[in-house]
Amino acid sequence: MEVFERDVEVKNRAGLHTRPAAGLVKLAAKFKSEIFLVRDGFMINGKSIIGVMTLAAEQGCQLTLRAEGPDAEAAVNELVGYFDSGFGEL
Amino acid sequence: MSLFSKLKELKKDNIPVELLLQSPIKLQILTDDIGLDNDITDKNLYRPQLALAGYVGLFSYQRIQIFGNTEIFYLKSITKEERIKTFKNITQFPIPCIILTNNHRLEPELLNICKEFNIAVMTTEFDTTKAFTLLSEFLDDQFAAQLVVHGSFVDVYGVGILFVGRSGIGKSEIALDLIERGHRLVADDVVMLSKKRETILMGTGTSLVQHFMEIRGLGIIDIRQMFGIRSIRFQKRLEIVVELEDWDDSQHYTRTGLDEEPLKLMDVEISHVRLPIFPGKNITVIAEVIAINYLLRTYGYDASKVFSEKLNEKIMKRTPGKKSFQEQRMITYFQGDNE
Repeated sequence: MEVFERDVEVKNRAGLHTRPAAGLVKLAAKFKSEIFLVRDGFMINGKSIIGVMTLAAEQGCQLTLRAEGPDAEAAVNELVGYFDSGFGEL
Repeated sequence: MSLFSKLKELKKDNIPVELLLQSPIKLQILTDDIGLDNDITDKNLYRPQLALAGYVGLFSYQRIQIFGNTEIFYLKSITKEERIKTFKNITQFPIPCIILTNNHRLEPELLNICKEFNIAVMTTEFDTTKAFTLLSEFLDDQFAAQLVVHGSFVDVYGVGILFVGRSGIGKSEIALDLIERGHRLVADDVVMLSKKRETILMGTGTSLVQHFMEIRGLGIIDIRQMFGIRSIRFQKRLEIVVELEDWDDSQHYTRTGLDEEPLKLMDVEISHVRLPIFPGKNITVIAEVIAINYLLRTYGYDASKVFSEKLNEKIMKRTPGKKSFQEQRMITYFQGDNE
Protein backbone atom coordinates (compact mmCIF):
# COMPACT_ATOMS: atom_id res chain seq x y z
CA MET A 1 0.00 0.00 0.00
CA GLU A 2 1.28 3.44 -0.93
CA VAL A 3 1.63 6.11 1.70
CA PHE A 4 2.30 9.70 0.71
CA GLU A 5 2.77 12.76 2.86
CA ARG A 6 3.27 16.40 1.97
CA ASP A 7 3.24 19.60 3.99
CA VAL A 8 0.93 22.31 2.72
CA GLU A 9 0.11 25.88 3.66
CA VAL A 10 -3.21 27.69 3.60
CA LYS A 11 -2.61 30.67 1.30
CA ASN A 12 -5.89 32.49 0.84
CA ARG A 13 -6.94 35.23 3.24
CA ALA A 14 -10.22 33.68 4.36
CA GLY A 15 -8.53 30.40 5.30
CA LEU A 16 -10.01 26.93 4.94
CA HIS A 17 -13.62 28.04 5.32
CA THR A 18 -16.81 26.23 4.30
CA ARG A 19 -16.52 26.54 0.50
CA PRO A 20 -12.92 25.34 0.18
CA ALA A 21 -13.59 22.66 2.79
CA ALA A 22 -16.42 21.34 0.65
CA GLY A 23 -14.15 21.53 -2.43
CA LEU A 24 -11.40 19.67 -0.62
CA VAL A 25 -13.70 16.88 0.55
CA LYS A 26 -15.14 16.58 -2.98
CA LEU A 27 -11.63 16.17 -4.41
CA ALA A 28 -10.61 13.71 -1.70
CA ALA A 29 -13.71 11.59 -2.23
CA LYS A 30 -12.67 10.95 -5.85
CA PHE A 31 -9.80 8.78 -4.66
CA LYS A 32 -9.86 5.27 -3.27
CA SER A 33 -7.08 6.07 -0.80
CA GLU A 34 -7.75 7.21 2.70
CA ILE A 35 -6.93 10.90 3.05
CA PHE A 36 -5.87 12.57 6.27
CA LEU A 37 -5.10 16.14 7.27
CA VAL A 38 -2.93 16.80 10.28
CA ARG A 39 -2.63 20.01 12.28
CA ASP A 40 -0.36 19.96 15.36
CA GLY A 41 -0.77 16.20 15.68
CA PHE A 42 -4.55 16.50 15.44
CA MET A 43 -5.44 14.16 12.59
CA ILE A 44 -8.80 14.19 10.82
CA ASN A 45 -10.33 12.29 7.94
CA GLY A 46 -10.02 14.32 4.73
CA LYS A 47 -13.24 12.90 3.36
CA SER A 48 -15.31 14.28 6.22
CA ILE A 49 -16.42 17.89 5.77
CA ILE A 50 -17.08 18.33 9.49
CA GLY A 51 -13.60 16.97 10.15
CA VAL A 52 -11.92 19.35 7.71
CA MET A 53 -13.80 22.31 9.17
CA THR A 54 -12.73 21.28 12.67
CA LEU A 55 -9.17 22.27 11.72
CA ALA A 56 -10.34 25.91 11.47
CA ALA A 57 -7.21 26.51 9.40
CA GLU A 58 -6.39 30.21 9.00
CA GLN A 59 -4.16 31.92 6.44
CA GLY A 60 -0.55 30.80 6.87
CA CYS A 61 -1.53 27.64 8.74
CA GLN A 62 0.72 24.64 8.09
CA LEU A 63 -0.97 21.29 7.56
CA THR A 64 0.24 17.85 6.61
CA LEU A 65 -1.58 15.96 3.88
CA ARG A 66 -1.41 12.20 4.10
CA ALA A 67 -2.84 9.59 1.77
CA GLU A 68 -2.80 5.82 2.13
CA GLY A 69 -4.00 3.49 -0.59
CA PRO A 70 -3.65 2.52 -4.23
CA ASP A 71 -3.83 6.07 -5.63
CA ALA A 72 -2.11 7.89 -2.74
CA GLU A 73 0.40 9.79 -4.85
CA ALA A 74 -2.16 11.11 -7.34
CA ALA A 75 -4.43 12.11 -4.46
CA VAL A 76 -1.73 14.04 -2.63
CA ASN A 77 -0.61 15.78 -5.83
CA GLU A 78 -4.10 16.91 -6.71
CA LEU A 79 -4.84 18.15 -3.20
CA VAL A 80 -1.50 19.97 -2.97
CA GLY A 81 -2.48 21.72 -6.22
CA TYR A 82 -5.74 22.82 -4.63
CA PHE A 83 -3.90 24.23 -1.60
CA ASP A 84 -1.32 25.95 -3.84
CA SER A 85 -4.07 27.68 -5.81
CA GLY A 86 -5.34 29.13 -2.54
CA PHE A 87 -8.56 27.24 -3.23
CA GLY A 88 -9.05 29.49 -6.26
CA GLU A 89 -9.26 32.56 -4.03
CA LEU A 90 -5.87 34.17 -4.71
CA MET B 1 -6.89 -3.09 14.24
CA SER B 2 -6.28 -1.21 11.03
CA LEU B 3 -8.76 1.55 11.74
CA PHE B 4 -7.00 2.71 14.87
CA SER B 5 -3.43 1.57 14.36
CA LYS B 6 -2.36 4.65 12.43
CA LEU B 7 -3.90 7.11 14.82
CA LYS B 8 -1.44 8.97 16.97
CA GLU B 9 -2.05 9.83 20.55
CA LEU B 10 -2.01 13.51 21.41
CA LYS B 11 -0.44 14.59 24.65
CA LYS B 12 0.06 18.00 26.18
CA ASP B 13 3.56 18.73 27.43
CA ASN B 14 2.51 21.75 29.41
CA ILE B 15 -0.47 23.84 30.42
CA PRO B 16 -0.49 27.50 31.46
CA VAL B 17 -1.04 28.37 35.12
CA GLU B 18 -4.09 30.37 34.04
CA LEU B 19 -5.92 27.12 33.20
CA LEU B 20 -5.92 26.22 36.91
CA LEU B 21 -8.56 28.92 37.39
CA GLN B 22 -10.98 26.52 35.68
CA SER B 23 -10.25 23.74 38.15
CA PRO B 24 -12.94 22.87 40.71
CA ILE B 25 -11.01 24.24 43.72
CA LYS B 26 -12.10 27.83 42.97
CA LEU B 27 -8.75 29.56 43.08
CA GLN B 28 -8.36 33.20 43.93
CA ILE B 29 -5.30 35.00 42.58
CA LEU B 30 -3.20 36.98 45.07
CA THR B 31 -0.51 38.23 42.68
CA ASP B 32 -2.62 40.07 40.07
CA ASP B 33 -1.74 38.77 36.61
CA ILE B 34 1.84 37.83 37.44
CA GLY B 35 3.04 34.43 36.25
CA LEU B 36 -0.30 33.34 34.80
CA ASP B 37 1.36 32.23 31.56
CA ASN B 38 3.99 30.13 33.35
CA ASP B 39 4.09 26.59 32.03
CA ILE B 40 3.15 23.66 34.24
CA THR B 41 5.04 20.62 32.94
CA ASP B 42 4.32 18.12 35.69
CA LYS B 43 0.91 16.80 36.69
CA ASN B 44 2.05 15.94 40.20
CA LEU B 45 1.81 18.27 43.17
CA TYR B 46 4.50 19.07 45.74
CA ARG B 47 4.53 20.13 49.38
CA PRO B 48 7.79 22.05 49.86
CA GLN B 49 8.23 21.44 53.59
CA LEU B 50 11.93 20.59 53.53
CA ALA B 51 12.62 23.25 50.91
CA LEU B 52 11.15 25.83 53.29
CA ALA B 53 13.33 24.47 56.07
CA GLY B 54 16.34 25.14 53.88
CA TYR B 55 17.04 21.78 52.23
CA VAL B 56 16.58 22.18 48.46
CA GLY B 57 18.14 18.89 47.35
CA LEU B 58 15.51 16.84 45.46
CA PHE B 59 13.23 19.90 45.48
CA SER B 60 10.61 19.24 42.75
CA TYR B 61 10.35 22.94 41.94
CA GLN B 62 8.79 22.32 38.52
CA ARG B 63 5.61 21.08 40.21
CA ILE B 64 2.77 23.14 41.60
CA GLN B 65 3.74 23.97 45.18
CA ILE B 66 0.98 23.37 47.73
CA PHE B 67 1.17 25.31 51.00
CA GLY B 68 -1.07 23.68 53.60
CA ASN B 69 -1.29 24.20 57.34
CA THR B 70 2.18 22.73 57.93
CA GLU B 71 3.94 25.16 55.58
CA ILE B 72 1.96 28.21 56.69
CA PHE B 73 2.35 27.55 60.45
CA TYR B 74 6.03 26.83 59.97
CA LEU B 75 6.44 30.19 58.22
CA LYS B 76 4.56 31.85 61.07
CA SER B 77 6.86 30.22 63.62
CA ILE B 78 10.03 31.82 62.27
CA THR B 79 11.09 35.46 62.25
CA LYS B 80 10.35 37.89 59.44
CA GLU B 81 14.01 37.94 58.34
CA GLU B 82 14.11 34.14 58.24
CA ARG B 83 10.85 34.07 56.23
CA ILE B 84 12.29 36.42 53.64
CA LYS B 85 15.48 34.41 53.49
CA THR B 86 13.48 31.18 53.06
CA PHE B 87 11.46 32.67 50.22
CA LYS B 88 14.51 34.06 48.46
CA ASN B 89 15.98 30.58 48.73
CA ILE B 90 13.06 28.77 47.05
CA THR B 91 12.22 31.44 44.49
CA GLN B 92 15.61 31.05 42.85
CA PHE B 93 14.03 27.96 41.27
CA PRO B 94 11.55 28.37 38.38
CA ILE B 95 8.43 27.45 40.32
CA PRO B 96 5.29 27.68 38.12
CA CYS B 97 2.93 28.69 40.94
CA ILE B 98 2.10 28.40 44.63
CA ILE B 99 -1.32 27.37 45.91
CA LEU B 100 -2.35 28.10 49.49
CA THR B 101 -5.09 25.91 50.97
CA ASN B 102 -7.54 26.59 53.84
CA ASN B 103 -7.88 30.16 52.53
CA HIS B 104 -4.43 31.02 53.89
CA ARG B 105 -2.63 34.21 52.82
CA LEU B 106 1.02 35.19 52.52
CA GLU B 107 2.56 38.25 54.13
CA PRO B 108 2.90 41.18 51.66
CA GLU B 109 6.71 40.99 51.73
CA LEU B 110 6.59 37.31 50.68
CA LEU B 111 4.03 38.04 47.95
CA ASN B 112 6.35 40.74 46.63
CA ILE B 113 9.23 38.28 46.38
CA CYS B 114 6.98 35.93 44.38
CA LYS B 115 5.94 38.79 42.12
CA GLU B 116 9.55 39.74 41.59
CA PHE B 117 10.39 36.19 40.46
CA ASN B 118 7.26 35.87 38.33
CA ILE B 119 5.55 33.20 40.44
CA ALA B 120 1.76 33.20 40.64
CA VAL B 121 0.27 32.75 44.12
CA MET B 122 -3.31 31.59 44.55
CA THR B 123 -5.49 30.56 47.43
CA THR B 124 -8.41 28.17 47.84
CA GLU B 125 -10.97 27.58 50.58
CA PHE B 126 -10.58 23.81 50.32
CA ASP B 127 -8.45 21.96 52.85
CA THR B 128 -5.20 20.40 51.65
CA THR B 129 -6.46 16.82 51.22
CA LYS B 130 -9.52 17.87 49.20
CA ALA B 131 -7.53 20.37 47.15
CA PHE B 132 -4.94 17.69 46.44
CA THR B 133 -7.53 15.19 45.21
CA LEU B 134 -9.51 17.65 43.10
CA LEU B 135 -6.46 19.31 41.60
CA SER B 136 -4.78 15.97 40.86
CA GLU B 137 -7.85 14.77 39.02
CA PHE B 138 -8.03 18.04 37.07
CA LEU B 139 -4.35 17.85 36.09
CA ASP B 140 -4.66 14.18 35.26
CA ASP B 141 -7.35 15.08 32.75
CA GLN B 142 -5.41 18.03 31.33
CA PHE B 143 -2.32 15.92 30.76
CA ALA B 144 -4.25 12.80 29.66
CA ALA B 145 -3.45 11.11 26.36
CA GLN B 146 -6.02 11.90 23.71
CA LEU B 147 -7.04 10.26 20.49
CA VAL B 148 -9.04 11.81 17.66
CA VAL B 149 -11.26 9.23 16.00
CA HIS B 150 -13.39 9.46 12.89
CA GLY B 151 -16.76 8.01 13.82
CA SER B 152 -20.15 8.58 15.45
CA PHE B 153 -20.50 8.36 19.20
CA VAL B 154 -23.95 7.69 20.65
CA ASP B 155 -25.30 6.89 24.10
CA VAL B 156 -27.64 3.92 23.59
CA TYR B 157 -29.55 2.98 26.77
CA GLY B 158 -26.67 4.49 28.74
CA VAL B 159 -24.01 2.48 26.88
CA GLY B 160 -21.46 4.52 24.92
CA ILE B 161 -21.22 3.07 21.41
CA LEU B 162 -18.73 4.37 18.87
CA PHE B 163 -19.50 3.55 15.25
CA VAL B 164 -16.49 3.44 12.97
CA GLY B 165 -16.02 2.44 9.35
CA ARG B 166 -15.07 3.81 5.95
CA SER B 167 -16.39 7.18 4.77
CA GLY B 168 -19.88 6.89 3.38
CA ILE B 169 -20.74 3.57 5.03
CA GLY B 170 -23.52 5.29 6.97
CA LYS B 171 -22.22 6.05 10.46
CA SER B 172 -24.05 9.38 10.71
CA GLU B 173 -27.26 7.87 9.34
CA ILE B 174 -27.22 5.19 12.04
CA ALA B 175 -26.58 7.86 14.68
CA LEU B 176 -29.50 9.89 13.30
CA ASP B 177 -31.78 6.86 13.39
CA LEU B 178 -30.78 6.17 17.00
CA ILE B 179 -31.46 9.79 17.97
CA GLU B 180 -34.89 9.53 16.36
CA ARG B 181 -35.55 6.55 18.63
CA GLY B 182 -34.69 8.58 21.72
CA HIS B 183 -30.98 7.89 22.17
CA ARG B 184 -28.43 10.66 22.69
CA LEU B 185 -25.69 11.91 20.41
CA VAL B 186 -22.29 12.66 21.95
CA ALA B 187 -20.34 13.57 18.82
CA ASP B 188 -20.34 12.92 15.11
CA ASP B 189 -17.43 12.72 12.67
CA VAL B 190 -14.73 14.00 15.03
CA VAL B 191 -14.69 12.22 18.39
CA MET B 192 -12.04 13.09 20.97
CA LEU B 193 -11.20 10.30 23.40
CA SER B 194 -9.33 10.95 26.66
CA LYS B 195 -7.95 8.42 29.07
CA LYS B 196 -9.22 8.86 32.60
CA ARG B 197 -7.77 7.12 35.67
CA GLU B 198 -5.82 4.74 33.38
CA THR B 199 -8.80 2.41 32.99
CA ILE B 200 -11.56 4.22 31.16
CA LEU B 201 -11.91 6.27 28.00
CA MET B 202 -14.15 9.31 27.91
CA GLY B 203 -15.37 10.70 24.61
CA THR B 204 -16.55 14.16 23.63
CA GLY B 205 -16.93 16.28 20.50
CA THR B 206 -15.00 19.39 19.54
CA SER B 207 -15.87 22.91 20.63
CA LEU B 208 -16.56 23.99 17.04
CA VAL B 209 -18.65 21.08 15.84
CA GLN B 210 -20.56 20.27 19.06
CA HIS B 211 -23.69 18.50 17.81
CA PHE B 212 -23.64 19.47 14.17
CA MET B 213 -23.77 16.57 11.74
CA GLU B 214 -23.33 16.07 8.04
CA ILE B 215 -25.78 13.87 6.18
CA ARG B 216 -24.74 13.03 2.64
CA GLY B 217 -27.02 14.71 0.12
CA LEU B 218 -28.57 16.90 2.78
CA GLY B 219 -25.72 18.96 4.16
CA ILE B 220 -25.10 20.12 7.70
CA ILE B 221 -27.80 19.83 10.33
CA ASP B 222 -27.85 20.73 14.03
CA ILE B 223 -29.09 17.84 16.17
CA ARG B 224 -29.47 19.95 19.32
CA GLN B 225 -31.74 22.46 17.57
CA MET B 226 -33.73 19.81 15.75
CA PHE B 227 -34.26 17.23 18.48
CA GLY B 228 -33.71 19.26 21.62
CA ILE B 229 -31.59 18.94 24.71
CA ARG B 230 -32.69 15.38 25.48
CA SER B 231 -31.11 14.16 22.24
CA ILE B 232 -27.55 15.16 23.11
CA ARG B 233 -24.92 14.89 25.77
CA PHE B 234 -21.46 16.42 26.11
CA GLN B 235 -19.45 13.45 27.35
CA LYS B 236 -19.80 9.71 27.68
CA ARG B 237 -17.63 6.80 28.67
CA LEU B 238 -16.72 4.65 25.66
CA GLU B 239 -17.86 1.07 26.18
CA ILE B 240 -18.28 -0.56 22.77
CA VAL B 241 -16.72 0.02 19.37
CA VAL B 242 -18.96 -1.12 16.53
CA GLU B 243 -17.00 -1.46 13.33
CA LEU B 244 -19.21 -1.32 10.25
CA GLU B 245 -17.89 -3.26 7.29
CA ASP B 246 -19.04 -4.06 3.80
CA TRP B 247 -20.09 -7.70 3.68
CA ASP B 248 -17.12 -9.83 2.72
CA ASP B 249 -17.58 -13.57 2.15
CA SER B 250 -13.97 -14.34 2.97
CA GLN B 251 -14.19 -12.75 6.43
CA HIS B 252 -15.25 -14.63 9.51
CA TYR B 253 -17.89 -12.99 11.66
CA THR B 254 -18.71 -14.35 15.10
CA ARG B 255 -21.78 -16.58 15.20
CA THR B 256 -21.96 -17.32 18.90
CA GLY B 257 -20.48 -14.30 20.64
CA LEU B 258 -18.17 -16.57 22.66
CA ASP B 259 -15.06 -15.68 20.68
CA GLU B 260 -15.37 -11.92 21.10
CA GLU B 261 -12.03 -10.17 21.25
CA PRO B 262 -11.80 -6.82 22.96
CA LEU B 263 -9.99 -3.95 21.31
CA LYS B 264 -7.05 -2.11 22.86
CA LEU B 265 -7.36 1.63 22.58
CA MET B 266 -4.69 3.64 24.40
CA ASP B 267 -4.06 0.47 26.47
CA VAL B 268 -7.67 0.32 27.62
CA GLU B 269 -9.75 -2.74 26.71
CA ILE B 270 -12.98 -1.91 24.93
CA SER B 271 -15.64 -4.37 23.70
CA HIS B 272 -15.50 -4.71 19.96
CA VAL B 273 -18.18 -5.79 17.53
CA ARG B 274 -17.53 -6.21 13.81
CA LEU B 275 -20.77 -5.77 11.98
CA PRO B 276 -21.09 -6.62 8.29
CA ILE B 277 -23.77 -4.53 6.64
CA PHE B 278 -25.95 -5.25 3.64
CA PRO B 279 -29.21 -3.90 2.27
CA GLY B 280 -32.21 -4.68 4.41
CA LYS B 281 -30.25 -5.05 7.63
CA ASN B 282 -31.53 -2.76 10.36
CA ILE B 283 -28.35 -1.61 12.06
CA THR B 284 -30.21 0.68 14.45
CA VAL B 285 -32.12 -2.19 16.04
CA ILE B 286 -28.94 -4.26 16.14
CA ALA B 287 -27.16 -1.37 17.88
CA GLU B 288 -29.89 -1.29 20.53
CA VAL B 289 -29.58 -5.04 20.98
CA ILE B 290 -25.79 -4.74 21.28
CA ALA B 291 -26.30 -2.18 24.05
CA ILE B 292 -28.88 -4.26 25.92
CA ASN B 293 -26.76 -7.40 25.58
CA TYR B 294 -23.78 -5.46 26.96
CA LEU B 295 -25.91 -4.37 29.93
CA LEU B 296 -27.00 -7.97 30.53
CA ARG B 297 -23.38 -9.11 30.50
CA THR B 298 -22.36 -6.27 32.80
CA TYR B 299 -25.07 -7.39 35.23
CA GLY B 300 -23.96 -11.02 35.03
CA TYR B 301 -25.99 -12.65 32.26
CA ASP B 302 -24.16 -13.80 29.16
CA ALA B 303 -26.66 -15.34 26.72
CA SER B 304 -24.01 -17.12 24.65
CA LYS B 305 -22.51 -18.74 27.75
CA VAL B 306 -25.89 -19.74 29.20
CA PHE B 307 -26.91 -21.31 25.89
CA SER B 308 -23.62 -23.13 25.60
CA GLU B 309 -23.94 -24.51 29.15
CA LYS B 310 -27.49 -25.72 28.44
CA LEU B 311 -26.19 -27.57 25.42
CA ASN B 312 -23.39 -29.21 27.41
CA GLU B 313 -25.84 -30.32 30.07
CA LYS B 314 -28.11 -31.88 27.44
CA ILE B 315 -25.24 -33.72 25.77
CA MET B 316 -24.13 -35.18 29.10
CA LYS B 317 -27.64 -36.48 29.87
CA ARG B 318 -28.06 -38.30 26.56
CA THR B 319 -27.88 -42.12 26.44
CA PRO B 320 -26.20 -43.34 23.31
CA GLY B 321 -28.41 -45.12 20.77
CA LYS B 322 -31.70 -43.86 22.24
CA LYS B 323 -33.98 -42.02 19.84
CA SER B 324 -34.86 -38.68 21.32
CA PHE B 325 -36.87 -36.85 18.70
CA GLN B 326 -39.82 -36.17 21.06
CA GLU B 327 -37.55 -34.67 23.73
CA GLN B 328 -36.64 -31.84 21.43
CA ARG B 329 -39.89 -29.98 21.95
CA MET B 330 -39.93 -27.27 24.57
CA ILE B 331 -43.23 -28.54 26.06
CA THR B 332 -44.16 -32.15 26.58
CA TYR B 333 -47.61 -32.03 25.03
CA PHE B 334 -49.94 -29.35 23.64
CA GLN B 335 -52.96 -28.73 25.85
CA GLY B 336 -54.83 -26.71 23.28
CA ASP B 337 -54.29 -23.01 22.81
CA ASN B 338 -54.90 -22.00 26.42
CA GLU B 339 -51.77 -19.97 26.75
